[in-house]
Amino acid sequence: MNSAPIIAEQLARHFGEVKAVDGINLTVNQGEIFGFLGPNGAGKSTAVRMLTTLLRPTSGTARVAGFDVVKQADEVRRNIGVALQDSAIDPLMTGFELLELQAVLYGIPSNKMKQRAEDLLERVGLTAAADRRVSTYSGGMRRRLDLALSLIHAPVVLFLDEPTTGLDPMSRLTLWEEVRRLNREGTTVMLTTQYLEEADQLADRIAIIDHGRIVREGKPSDLKRTVGDPTLLINVSRQHSDAAKAVLARFGDMRPTAEGTLGVGLKGGAERVAEVVRALDEAKIVVEHLELNQPSLDDVFAEATGHRLEGADNAPQAG
Amino acid sequence: MSTTRSVGILATRSVRTIQRLPSAFFPALAMPIFNMVVFAGTFFAVTKIPNFPTDRSINWYMPLGIMMGSAFGGVGLGFTTIRDIQTGFYDRLRMAPTSRISLILGPLVGTLVRIALMTTLVIVIGIALGVRFTGGVLGVLCLYVSALGIATMGAGWGLGLAFKFKDMRGAAIMQLSIFLVMFLSSAQVPLDVMSGWLHAVARVNPATNILRLARVGLVNEANADHLSWNSVWGGVVAIVVMCALSLVFALRNLRKLSN
Repeated sequence: MNSAPIIAEQLARHFGEVKAVDGINLTVNQGEIFGFLGPNGAGKSTAVRMLTTLLRPTSGTARVAGFDVVKQADEVRRNIGVALQDSAIDPLMTGFELLELQAVLYGIPSNKMKQRAEDLLERVGLTAAADRRVSTYSGGMRRRLDLALSLIHAPVVLFLDEPTTGLDPMSRLTLWEEVRRLNREGTTVMLTTQYLEEADQLADRIAIIDHGRIVREGKPSDLKRTVGDPTLLINVSRQHSDAAKAVLARFGDMRPTAEGTLGVGLKGGAERVAEVVRALDEAKIVVEHLELNQPSLDDVFAEATGHRLEGADNAPQAG
Repeated sequence: MSTTRSVGILATRSVRTIQRLPSAFFPALAMPIFNMVVFAGTFFAVTKIPNFPTDRSINWYMPLGIMMGSAFGGVGLGFTTIRDIQTGFYDRLRMAPTSRISLILGPLVGTLVRIALMTTLVIVIGIALGVRFTGGVLGVLCLYVSALGIATMGAGWGLGLAFKFKDMRGAAIMQLSIFLVMFLSSAQVPLDVMSGWLHAVARVNPATNILRLARVGLVNEANADHLSWNSVWGGVVAIVVMCALSLVFALRNLRKLSN
Protein backbone atom coordinates (compact mmCIF):
# COMPACT_ATOMS: atom_id res chain seq x y z
CA MET A 1 0.00 0.00 0.00
CA ASN A 2 1.22 3.49 -0.90
CA SER A 3 2.43 5.26 2.27
CA ALA A 4 2.77 8.75 0.78
CA PRO A 5 1.41 11.43 3.15
CA ILE A 6 -1.05 12.78 0.58
CA ILE A 7 -2.81 10.62 -1.96
CA ALA A 8 -5.86 11.70 -3.94
CA GLU A 9 -7.61 9.44 -6.42
CA GLN A 10 -10.21 10.81 -8.80
CA LEU A 11 -10.99 13.45 -6.20
CA ALA A 12 -13.86 15.67 -7.33
CA ARG A 13 -16.03 18.39 -5.91
CA HIS A 14 -18.96 19.81 -7.81
CA PHE A 15 -21.11 22.77 -6.80
CA GLY A 16 -24.23 22.19 -8.84
CA GLU A 17 -23.14 22.30 -12.46
CA VAL A 18 -19.73 23.78 -11.60
CA LYS A 19 -16.92 21.23 -11.43
CA ALA A 20 -14.58 23.06 -9.06
CA VAL A 21 -12.31 20.02 -8.83
CA ASP A 22 -12.84 17.49 -11.58
CA GLY A 23 -11.31 14.15 -10.65
CA ILE A 24 -7.71 14.84 -9.74
CA ASN A 25 -5.04 12.26 -8.96
CA LEU A 26 -2.24 13.39 -6.74
CA THR A 27 0.59 11.89 -4.73
CA VAL A 28 2.79 13.96 -2.45
CA ASN A 29 5.81 12.07 -1.16
CA GLN A 30 7.28 12.10 2.32
CA GLY A 31 9.49 15.14 2.93
CA GLU A 32 8.50 16.99 -0.23
CA ILE A 33 7.45 20.55 -0.74
CA PHE A 34 4.70 20.13 -3.28
CA GLY A 35 3.47 23.19 -5.14
CA PHE A 36 -0.09 23.40 -6.35
CA LEU A 37 -0.11 26.11 -8.96
CA GLY A 38 -3.02 27.70 -10.71
CA PRO A 39 -4.95 30.92 -11.25
CA ASN A 40 -7.77 32.13 -9.01
CA GLY A 41 -10.75 29.83 -9.32
CA ALA A 42 -8.73 26.95 -10.74
CA GLY A 43 -9.71 24.62 -7.90
CA LYS A 44 -6.62 24.82 -5.67
CA SER A 45 -8.38 25.95 -2.51
CA THR A 46 -11.29 23.57 -3.04
CA ALA A 47 -8.84 20.69 -3.34
CA VAL A 48 -7.07 21.80 -0.16
CA ARG A 49 -10.37 22.13 1.69
CA MET A 50 -11.17 18.52 0.80
CA LEU A 51 -7.74 17.30 1.84
CA THR A 52 -8.03 19.14 5.17
CA THR A 53 -11.52 17.71 5.96
CA LEU A 54 -13.33 21.04 5.59
CA LEU A 55 -15.26 19.93 2.52
CA ARG A 56 -16.62 16.54 1.54
CA PRO A 57 -15.65 15.31 -1.91
CA THR A 58 -18.47 14.73 -4.38
CA SER A 59 -16.60 11.62 -5.51
CA GLY A 60 -13.18 10.02 -5.32
CA THR A 61 -11.02 9.37 -2.30
CA ALA A 62 -8.13 11.00 -0.50
CA ARG A 63 -5.81 9.85 2.24
CA VAL A 64 -3.74 12.28 4.26
CA ALA A 65 -1.10 11.10 6.73
CA GLY A 66 -2.42 7.59 6.09
CA PHE A 67 -6.06 8.34 6.96
CA ASP A 68 -9.16 8.71 4.85
CA VAL A 69 -10.30 12.34 4.81
CA VAL A 70 -13.98 11.41 5.09
CA LYS A 71 -14.05 8.28 7.23
CA GLN A 72 -11.15 9.19 9.54
CA ALA A 73 -11.44 12.96 9.58
CA ASP A 74 -10.37 13.34 13.22
CA GLU A 75 -7.18 11.31 12.64
CA VAL A 76 -6.39 13.46 9.62
CA ARG A 77 -6.94 16.62 11.69
CA ARG A 78 -4.58 15.37 14.40
CA ASN A 79 -1.78 14.98 11.86
CA ILE A 80 -2.06 18.06 9.71
CA GLY A 81 -1.37 21.73 10.15
CA VAL A 82 -3.20 24.21 7.96
CA ALA A 83 -2.68 27.88 7.24
CA LEU A 84 -5.56 28.91 5.05
CA GLN A 85 -5.82 31.78 2.59
CA ASP A 86 -6.65 35.09 4.35
CA SER A 87 -5.20 34.14 7.72
CA ALA A 88 -8.31 33.48 9.76
CA ILE A 89 -7.47 35.05 13.09
CA ASP A 90 -9.71 36.65 15.70
CA PRO A 91 -8.53 40.27 15.83
CA LEU A 92 -9.72 40.70 19.43
CA MET A 93 -7.36 38.02 20.73
CA THR A 94 -3.64 38.32 21.35
CA GLY A 95 -1.10 36.13 19.60
CA PHE A 96 -0.47 34.18 22.80
CA GLU A 97 -4.19 33.67 23.46
CA LEU A 98 -4.68 32.29 19.97
CA LEU A 99 -1.83 29.84 20.43
CA GLU A 100 -3.30 28.83 23.78
CA LEU A 101 -6.70 28.26 22.15
CA GLN A 102 -5.17 26.22 19.37
CA ALA A 103 -3.12 24.18 21.86
CA VAL A 104 -6.18 23.25 23.91
CA LEU A 105 -8.20 22.32 20.82
CA TYR A 106 -5.36 20.04 19.72
CA GLY A 107 -5.11 18.42 23.14
CA ILE A 108 -1.67 19.71 24.13
CA PRO A 109 -1.30 19.08 27.89
CA SER A 110 -1.54 22.22 30.07
CA ASN A 111 1.98 21.81 31.46
CA LYS A 112 3.51 21.87 27.96
CA MET A 113 1.26 24.49 26.44
CA LYS A 114 3.03 27.66 27.58
CA GLN A 115 6.48 26.47 26.57
CA ARG A 116 5.26 25.31 23.18
CA ALA A 117 3.52 28.64 22.53
CA GLU A 118 6.61 30.59 23.57
CA ASP A 119 8.87 28.47 21.36
CA LEU A 120 6.66 29.00 18.35
CA LEU A 121 6.35 32.74 18.95
CA GLU A 122 10.11 32.95 19.09
CA ARG A 123 10.45 30.85 15.98
CA VAL A 124 8.26 33.19 13.93
CA GLY A 125 9.70 36.32 15.52
CA LEU A 126 6.60 37.40 17.41
CA THR A 127 7.75 37.13 21.02
CA ALA A 128 7.63 40.89 21.53
CA ALA A 129 4.13 41.09 20.04
CA ALA A 130 2.74 38.05 21.86
CA ASP A 131 0.51 40.02 24.21
CA ARG A 132 -0.72 42.49 21.64
CA ARG A 133 -4.11 42.10 20.03
CA VAL A 134 -3.89 40.66 16.53
CA SER A 135 -5.77 43.67 15.17
CA THR A 136 -2.53 45.63 15.64
CA TYR A 137 -0.44 43.14 13.62
CA SER A 138 0.76 43.81 10.08
CA GLY A 139 -0.17 41.41 7.26
CA GLY A 140 3.22 39.70 7.50
CA MET A 141 2.91 39.27 11.28
CA ARG A 142 -0.54 37.72 10.86
CA ARG A 143 0.80 35.23 8.33
CA ARG A 144 3.64 34.29 10.65
CA LEU A 145 1.23 33.86 13.53
CA ASP A 146 -1.00 31.77 11.28
CA LEU A 147 2.01 29.58 10.52
CA ALA A 148 2.82 29.25 14.22
CA LEU A 149 -0.79 28.26 14.93
CA SER A 150 -0.65 25.56 12.30
CA LEU A 151 2.50 24.13 13.92
CA ILE A 152 1.25 23.96 17.52
CA HIS A 153 0.87 20.16 17.47
CA ALA A 154 3.97 19.45 15.34
CA PRO A 155 2.02 18.16 12.33
CA VAL A 156 3.55 15.68 9.89
CA VAL A 157 1.86 17.35 6.91
CA LEU A 158 1.52 21.09 6.52
CA PHE A 159 -0.92 22.74 4.12
CA LEU A 160 -0.22 26.34 3.18
CA ASP A 161 -2.94 27.91 1.07
CA GLU A 162 -1.53 30.95 -0.73
CA PRO A 163 0.60 31.85 2.27
CA THR A 164 2.23 34.93 0.77
CA THR A 165 -0.64 36.52 -1.12
CA GLY A 166 -0.64 40.23 -0.37
CA LEU A 167 2.69 40.20 1.47
CA ASP A 168 5.57 42.56 0.76
CA PRO A 169 8.77 41.04 -0.68
CA MET A 170 10.62 40.96 2.66
CA SER A 171 7.77 39.18 4.42
CA ARG A 172 7.57 36.70 1.56
CA LEU A 173 11.26 35.89 1.86
CA THR A 174 10.96 35.39 5.61
CA LEU A 175 8.03 33.03 5.17
CA TRP A 176 9.78 31.10 2.40
CA GLU A 177 12.80 30.62 4.63
CA GLU A 178 10.60 29.32 7.43
CA VAL A 179 8.86 26.89 5.06
CA ARG A 180 12.25 25.58 3.90
CA ARG A 181 13.37 25.20 7.51
CA LEU A 182 10.25 23.23 8.41
CA ASN A 183 10.74 21.02 5.41
CA ARG A 184 14.37 20.35 6.34
CA GLU A 185 13.10 19.24 9.75
CA GLY A 186 10.97 16.59 8.03
CA THR A 187 7.56 18.20 7.53
CA THR A 188 5.87 17.43 4.24
CA VAL A 189 4.48 20.66 2.80
CA MET A 190 1.71 21.17 0.31
CA LEU A 191 1.70 24.73 -0.89
CA THR A 192 -0.90 26.32 -3.12
CA THR A 193 0.09 29.46 -4.92
CA GLN A 194 -0.69 31.61 -7.91
CA TYR A 195 2.84 32.96 -7.88
CA LEU A 196 5.15 31.23 -10.36
CA GLU A 197 8.26 32.40 -8.61
CA GLU A 198 7.06 30.98 -5.31
CA ALA A 199 6.44 27.57 -6.81
CA ASP A 200 9.75 27.71 -8.66
CA GLN A 201 11.72 28.71 -5.56
CA LEU A 202 10.14 26.40 -3.02
CA ALA A 203 8.63 23.33 -4.59
CA ASP A 204 10.39 20.04 -5.23
CA ARG A 205 7.50 19.09 -7.48
CA ILE A 206 4.49 20.98 -8.73
CA ALA A 207 1.09 20.27 -10.18
CA ILE A 208 -0.58 22.83 -12.41
CA ILE A 209 -4.33 22.94 -12.02
CA ASP A 210 -6.70 24.68 -14.41
CA HIS A 211 -10.49 24.46 -14.49
CA GLY A 212 -10.42 21.77 -11.82
CA ARG A 213 -8.04 19.46 -13.66
CA ILE A 214 -4.36 18.81 -13.22
CA VAL A 215 -2.80 19.63 -16.57
CA ARG A 216 0.90 19.13 -15.75
CA GLU A 217 2.82 17.56 -12.88
CA GLY A 218 6.51 17.13 -12.22
CA LYS A 219 9.72 18.82 -11.08
CA PRO A 220 9.84 22.51 -12.12
CA SER A 221 13.11 21.96 -14.02
CA ASP A 222 11.70 18.97 -15.92
CA LEU A 223 8.52 20.82 -16.77
CA LYS A 224 10.41 23.84 -18.06
CA ARG A 225 12.56 21.55 -20.17
CA THR A 226 9.47 20.17 -21.88
CA VAL A 227 8.60 23.64 -23.16
CA GLY A 228 11.98 23.75 -24.91
CA ASP A 229 12.62 26.99 -26.77
CA PRO A 230 12.84 30.38 -25.06
CA THR A 231 10.03 32.85 -25.69
CA LEU A 232 10.73 36.01 -27.67
CA LEU A 233 8.26 38.72 -26.68
CA ILE A 234 7.79 41.89 -28.72
CA ASN A 235 5.52 44.89 -28.57
CA VAL A 236 4.63 46.68 -31.79
CA SER A 237 2.04 49.30 -32.64
CA ARG A 238 -1.45 48.04 -33.32
CA GLN A 239 -1.29 48.60 -37.12
CA HIS A 240 1.84 46.42 -37.36
CA SER A 241 0.46 43.61 -35.24
CA ASP A 242 -0.64 41.27 -38.05
CA ALA A 243 2.50 41.82 -40.10
CA ALA A 244 4.69 41.22 -37.04
CA LYS A 245 2.81 38.03 -36.27
CA ALA A 246 3.48 36.78 -39.80
CA VAL A 247 7.18 37.51 -39.43
CA LEU A 248 7.48 35.89 -36.02
CA ALA A 249 5.66 32.77 -37.17
CA ARG A 250 8.61 32.04 -39.48
CA PHE A 251 10.85 31.57 -36.42
CA GLY A 252 8.72 29.20 -34.34
CA ASP A 253 5.30 28.54 -32.83
CA MET A 254 3.33 31.53 -31.59
CA ARG A 255 2.73 31.44 -27.84
CA PRO A 256 -0.09 32.86 -25.73
CA THR A 257 0.83 36.22 -24.21
CA ALA A 258 -0.73 39.15 -22.45
CA GLU A 259 -2.82 41.42 -24.66
CA GLY A 260 -0.74 43.81 -26.79
CA THR A 261 2.31 41.54 -26.76
CA LEU A 262 3.33 38.95 -29.33
CA GLY A 263 5.32 35.88 -28.36
CA VAL A 264 7.06 33.16 -30.28
CA GLY A 265 8.87 30.03 -29.13
CA LEU A 266 12.19 30.88 -30.75
CA LYS A 267 13.61 27.77 -32.44
CA GLY A 268 17.39 27.87 -32.17
CA GLY A 269 17.34 30.08 -29.08
CA ALA A 270 19.09 33.41 -28.43
CA GLU A 271 21.37 33.12 -31.48
CA ARG A 272 18.46 33.87 -33.77
CA VAL A 273 17.33 37.10 -32.10
CA ALA A 274 19.37 39.24 -34.51
CA GLU A 275 17.80 37.39 -37.43
CA VAL A 276 14.30 38.17 -36.10
CA VAL A 277 15.15 41.83 -35.63
CA ARG A 278 16.45 42.04 -39.22
CA ALA A 279 13.30 40.38 -40.56
CA LEU A 280 11.09 42.81 -38.63
CA ASP A 281 13.17 45.71 -39.88
CA GLU A 282 12.91 44.56 -43.48
CA ALA A 283 9.13 44.40 -43.06
CA LYS A 284 9.24 48.06 -41.86
CA ILE A 285 7.87 47.10 -38.48
CA VAL A 286 8.82 49.39 -35.60
CA VAL A 287 9.53 47.35 -32.48
CA GLU A 288 8.68 49.19 -29.26
CA HIS A 289 9.96 46.54 -26.87
CA LEU A 290 11.72 43.21 -27.19
CA GLU A 291 12.75 40.61 -24.62
CA LEU A 292 13.87 37.01 -24.61
CA ASN A 293 12.66 34.84 -21.76
CA GLN A 294 14.08 31.46 -20.93
CA PRO A 295 11.34 28.85 -20.41
CA SER A 296 9.50 29.53 -17.18
CA LEU A 297 6.68 27.90 -15.31
CA ASP A 298 4.45 30.48 -16.93
CA ASP A 299 5.46 29.03 -20.32
CA VAL A 300 4.69 25.57 -18.97
CA PHE A 301 1.34 26.86 -17.82
CA ALA A 302 0.64 28.59 -21.13
CA GLU A 303 1.67 25.56 -23.11
CA ALA A 304 -0.57 23.32 -21.00
CA THR A 305 -3.64 25.56 -20.84
CA GLY A 306 -3.46 27.90 -23.80
CA HIS A 307 -3.40 31.00 -21.58
CA ARG A 308 -1.04 32.76 -19.23
CA LEU A 309 -1.39 32.48 -15.48
CA GLU A 310 -3.61 35.37 -14.46
CA GLY A 311 -1.84 37.78 -12.16
CA ALA A 312 1.53 36.08 -12.58
CA ASP A 313 3.09 39.28 -13.85
CA ASN A 314 1.78 41.14 -10.83
CA ALA A 315 3.42 38.93 -8.26
CA PRO A 316 5.68 40.93 -5.99
CA GLN A 317 9.30 40.16 -6.75
CA ALA A 318 11.37 38.75 -3.95
CA GLY A 319 15.10 38.70 -4.39
CA MET B 1 -11.18 15.83 29.59
CA SER B 2 -10.24 17.15 26.18
CA THR B 3 -13.83 18.16 25.46
CA THR B 4 -14.09 19.93 28.83
CA ARG B 5 -10.90 21.90 28.17
CA SER B 6 -12.11 22.81 24.69
CA VAL B 7 -15.46 23.99 26.08
CA GLY B 8 -13.60 26.05 28.69
CA ILE B 9 -11.26 27.78 26.27
CA LEU B 10 -14.04 28.54 23.77
CA ALA B 11 -16.24 29.90 26.56
CA THR B 12 -13.33 32.05 27.72
CA ARG B 13 -12.95 33.48 24.23
CA SER B 14 -16.63 34.38 24.21
CA VAL B 15 -16.60 36.01 27.65
CA ARG B 16 -13.39 37.88 26.91
CA THR B 17 -15.17 39.90 24.22
CA ILE B 18 -17.19 41.61 26.99
CA GLN B 19 -13.99 43.26 28.12
CA ARG B 20 -12.45 43.66 24.68
CA LEU B 21 -15.54 44.94 22.91
CA PRO B 22 -17.83 46.42 25.59
CA SER B 23 -19.72 48.41 22.95
CA ALA B 24 -21.08 45.12 21.62
CA PHE B 25 -22.21 43.99 25.10
CA PHE B 26 -23.76 47.29 26.13
CA PRO B 27 -26.94 47.01 23.99
CA ALA B 28 -27.51 43.50 25.36
CA LEU B 29 -27.53 45.05 28.86
CA ALA B 30 -29.45 48.18 27.99
CA MET B 31 -32.32 46.64 26.03
CA PRO B 32 -33.79 44.47 28.82
CA ILE B 33 -33.59 47.41 31.25
CA PHE B 34 -35.19 49.68 28.68
CA ASN B 35 -37.95 47.16 27.93
CA MET B 36 -38.66 46.62 31.62
CA VAL B 37 -38.88 50.32 32.41
CA VAL B 38 -40.83 51.31 29.29
CA PHE B 39 -43.33 48.44 29.39
CA ALA B 40 -43.92 48.77 33.13
CA GLY B 41 -44.38 52.53 32.82
CA THR B 42 -46.54 52.51 29.69
CA PHE B 43 -48.74 49.58 30.60
CA PHE B 44 -48.99 50.16 34.35
CA ALA B 45 -52.81 49.98 34.08
CA VAL B 46 -52.62 46.35 32.95
CA THR B 47 -52.73 45.36 36.61
CA LYS B 48 -56.29 46.73 36.82
CA ILE B 49 -57.54 43.82 34.69
CA PRO B 50 -59.63 41.61 37.01
CA ASN B 51 -57.61 38.68 38.41
CA PHE B 52 -54.36 40.03 36.92
CA PRO B 53 -51.62 37.90 38.50
CA THR B 54 -49.79 40.81 40.15
CA ASP B 55 -50.57 44.29 41.38
CA ARG B 56 -47.18 45.68 40.26
CA SER B 57 -46.63 46.17 36.56
CA ILE B 58 -42.85 45.99 37.01
CA ASN B 59 -43.27 42.50 38.53
CA TRP B 60 -44.94 41.48 35.27
CA TYR B 61 -42.60 43.22 32.84
CA MET B 62 -39.20 42.63 34.45
CA PRO B 63 -39.29 38.91 33.53
CA LEU B 64 -40.37 39.86 30.00
CA GLY B 65 -37.41 42.23 29.67
CA ILE B 66 -35.06 39.53 30.91
CA MET B 67 -36.57 36.85 28.66
CA MET B 68 -36.39 39.03 25.57
CA GLY B 69 -32.81 39.99 26.41
CA SER B 70 -31.96 36.33 26.95
CA ALA B 71 -33.59 35.14 23.74
CA PHE B 72 -31.86 37.82 21.66
CA GLY B 73 -28.62 37.24 23.56
CA GLY B 74 -28.90 33.57 22.66
CA VAL B 75 -29.45 34.10 18.95
CA GLY B 76 -26.66 36.67 19.12
CA LEU B 77 -24.33 33.68 19.22
CA GLY B 78 -25.59 32.94 15.72
CA PHE B 79 -24.54 36.44 14.60
CA THR B 80 -21.01 36.08 15.98
CA THR B 81 -20.75 32.62 14.46
CA ILE B 82 -21.73 33.98 11.03
CA ARG B 83 -18.90 36.49 11.46
CA ASP B 84 -16.50 33.69 12.38
CA ILE B 85 -17.61 31.66 9.37
CA GLN B 86 -17.20 34.59 7.01
CA THR B 87 -13.76 35.55 8.31
CA GLY B 88 -12.64 31.94 8.12
CA PHE B 89 -12.00 31.68 11.87
CA TYR B 90 -14.61 28.94 12.14
CA ASP B 91 -12.62 26.84 9.65
CA ARG B 92 -9.79 26.91 12.17
CA LEU B 93 -12.11 25.56 14.85
CA ARG B 94 -13.57 22.91 12.53
CA MET B 95 -10.12 21.70 11.54
CA ALA B 96 -9.23 20.99 15.16
CA PRO B 97 -9.53 17.35 16.28
CA THR B 98 -11.83 18.27 19.13
CA SER B 99 -15.37 16.97 19.47
CA ARG B 100 -18.00 18.80 17.44
CA ILE B 101 -20.15 19.10 20.56
CA SER B 102 -17.46 21.21 22.21
CA LEU B 103 -17.66 23.66 19.31
CA ILE B 104 -21.32 24.14 20.26
CA LEU B 105 -21.06 23.99 24.04
CA GLY B 106 -18.01 26.26 24.41
CA PRO B 107 -19.53 29.38 22.88
CA LEU B 108 -22.87 28.46 24.48
CA VAL B 109 -21.37 28.48 27.97
CA GLY B 110 -19.80 31.86 27.21
CA THR B 111 -23.18 33.16 26.10
CA LEU B 112 -24.86 31.86 29.26
CA VAL B 113 -22.31 33.68 31.41
CA ARG B 114 -23.22 36.91 29.62
CA ILE B 115 -26.93 36.19 30.06
CA ALA B 116 -26.44 35.50 33.78
CA LEU B 117 -24.65 38.86 34.15
CA MET B 118 -27.44 40.64 32.31
CA THR B 119 -30.14 38.89 34.37
CA THR B 120 -28.44 39.83 37.63
CA LEU B 121 -28.14 43.46 36.62
CA VAL B 122 -31.78 43.69 35.52
CA ILE B 123 -32.96 42.05 38.76
CA VAL B 124 -30.93 44.50 40.85
CA ILE B 125 -32.33 47.48 38.92
CA GLY B 126 -35.80 45.93 39.02
CA ILE B 127 -35.66 45.61 42.81
CA ALA B 128 -34.52 49.21 43.03
CA LEU B 129 -37.56 50.20 40.97
CA GLY B 130 -40.01 48.26 43.14
CA VAL B 131 -39.95 44.61 42.08
CA ARG B 132 -41.05 42.32 44.91
CA PHE B 133 -40.09 38.64 44.78
CA THR B 134 -43.13 36.86 46.24
CA GLY B 135 -41.52 33.48 45.67
CA GLY B 136 -38.28 34.18 47.53
CA VAL B 137 -35.02 32.53 46.50
CA LEU B 138 -36.83 29.75 44.61
CA GLY B 139 -38.63 32.39 42.58
CA VAL B 140 -35.31 34.04 41.71
CA LEU B 141 -33.93 30.62 40.76
CA CYS B 142 -36.88 29.99 38.43
CA LEU B 143 -36.24 33.32 36.72
CA TYR B 144 -32.57 32.40 36.15
CA VAL B 145 -33.51 28.92 34.87
CA SER B 146 -35.98 30.48 32.43
CA ALA B 147 -33.51 33.10 31.25
CA LEU B 148 -30.71 30.59 30.72
CA GLY B 149 -33.13 28.12 29.17
CA ILE B 150 -34.52 30.52 26.61
CA ALA B 151 -30.99 31.75 25.87
CA THR B 152 -29.92 28.16 25.18
CA MET B 153 -32.88 27.70 22.85
CA GLY B 154 -32.03 30.92 21.05
CA ALA B 155 -28.35 29.97 20.85
CA GLY B 156 -29.09 26.53 19.38
CA TRP B 157 -31.49 28.07 16.88
CA GLY B 158 -29.06 30.86 16.00
CA LEU B 159 -26.12 28.47 15.60
CA GLY B 160 -28.16 26.10 13.44
CA LEU B 161 -29.22 28.95 11.15
CA ALA B 162 -25.68 30.32 11.03
CA PHE B 163 -24.34 26.91 9.94
CA LYS B 164 -27.16 26.47 7.46
CA PHE B 165 -26.97 29.85 5.70
CA LYS B 166 -23.38 30.90 6.54
CA ASP B 167 -24.32 34.54 5.91
CA MET B 168 -26.67 37.32 7.00
CA ARG B 169 -29.73 35.57 5.52
CA GLY B 170 -29.64 33.50 8.69
CA ALA B 171 -29.50 36.62 10.86
CA ALA B 172 -32.79 37.97 9.49
CA ILE B 173 -34.58 34.71 10.26
CA MET B 174 -33.06 34.63 13.75
CA GLN B 175 -34.46 38.04 14.68
CA LEU B 176 -37.87 37.56 13.11
CA SER B 177 -38.41 34.17 14.69
CA ILE B 178 -37.54 35.44 18.17
CA PHE B 179 -39.96 38.35 17.82
CA LEU B 180 -42.72 36.02 16.72
CA VAL B 181 -42.11 33.47 19.45
CA MET B 182 -41.95 36.11 22.17
CA PHE B 183 -44.91 38.22 21.13
CA LEU B 184 -47.21 35.33 20.19
CA SER B 185 -47.08 34.22 23.82
CA SER B 186 -48.26 35.50 27.21
CA ALA B 187 -45.51 38.13 27.05
CA GLN B 188 -47.83 41.12 27.49
CA VAL B 189 -50.92 39.73 29.19
CA PRO B 190 -51.94 36.45 30.84
CA LEU B 191 -53.29 33.67 28.65
CA ASP B 192 -56.84 33.92 29.99
CA VAL B 193 -57.10 37.57 28.91
CA MET B 194 -56.38 36.66 25.27
CA SER B 195 -58.98 35.44 22.80
CA GLY B 196 -59.29 34.09 19.26
CA TRP B 197 -56.30 32.93 17.21
CA LEU B 198 -53.82 34.72 19.46
CA HIS B 199 -55.01 32.69 22.44
CA ALA B 200 -54.79 29.46 20.43
CA VAL B 201 -51.25 30.22 19.28
CA ALA B 202 -50.06 31.46 22.68
CA ARG B 203 -51.45 28.36 24.38
CA VAL B 204 -49.25 26.00 22.35
CA ASN B 205 -46.27 28.34 22.20
CA PRO B 206 -43.55 26.94 24.49
CA ALA B 207 -42.52 30.51 25.32
CA THR B 208 -45.79 30.89 27.23
CA ASN B 209 -44.84 28.11 29.62
CA ILE B 210 -41.31 29.43 29.98
CA LEU B 211 -42.59 32.95 30.74
CA ARG B 212 -44.94 31.45 33.28
CA LEU B 213 -41.94 29.77 34.93
CA ALA B 214 -40.05 33.07 34.87
CA ARG B 215 -42.91 34.80 36.68
CA VAL B 216 -43.79 32.17 39.32
CA GLY B 217 -41.79 34.03 41.94
CA LEU B 218 -43.21 37.43 41.06
CA VAL B 219 -47.00 36.96 40.90
CA ASN B 220 -49.28 37.36 43.90
CA GLU B 221 -49.16 34.51 46.40
CA ALA B 222 -52.87 33.84 45.90
CA ASN B 223 -52.60 33.48 42.12
CA ALA B 224 -52.74 30.04 40.52
CA ASP B 225 -49.45 30.79 38.76
CA HIS B 226 -47.59 31.38 42.03
CA LEU B 227 -44.66 29.11 42.82
CA SER B 228 -45.84 25.50 42.96
CA TRP B 229 -45.05 22.29 41.13
CA ASN B 230 -48.17 22.81 39.01
CA SER B 231 -47.01 26.21 37.79
CA VAL B 232 -43.41 25.13 37.26
CA TRP B 233 -43.38 21.78 35.46
CA GLY B 234 -44.73 23.03 32.12
CA GLY B 235 -41.92 25.55 31.82
CA VAL B 236 -39.27 23.03 32.82
CA VAL B 237 -40.50 20.53 30.22
CA ALA B 238 -40.68 23.26 27.56
CA ILE B 239 -37.09 24.30 28.31
CA VAL B 240 -35.73 20.75 28.28
CA VAL B 241 -37.50 19.78 25.06
CA MET B 242 -36.83 23.03 23.19
CA CYS B 243 -33.19 23.19 24.28
CA ALA B 244 -32.65 19.59 23.17
CA LEU B 245 -34.31 20.24 19.79
CA SER B 246 -32.43 23.46 19.14
CA LEU B 247 -29.05 21.99 20.10
CA VAL B 248 -29.65 18.94 17.89
CA PHE B 249 -30.58 21.37 15.08
CA ALA B 250 -27.28 23.20 15.66
CA LEU B 251 -25.20 20.02 15.79
CA ARG B 252 -26.79 18.55 12.66
CA ASN B 253 -26.14 21.72 10.69
CA LEU B 254 -22.59 21.94 12.02
CA ARG B 255 -21.93 18.45 10.68
CA LYS B 256 -23.46 19.47 7.35
CA LEU B 257 -21.07 22.42 6.98
CA SER B 258 -18.66 20.13 5.12
CA ASN B 259 -21.29 19.10 2.57
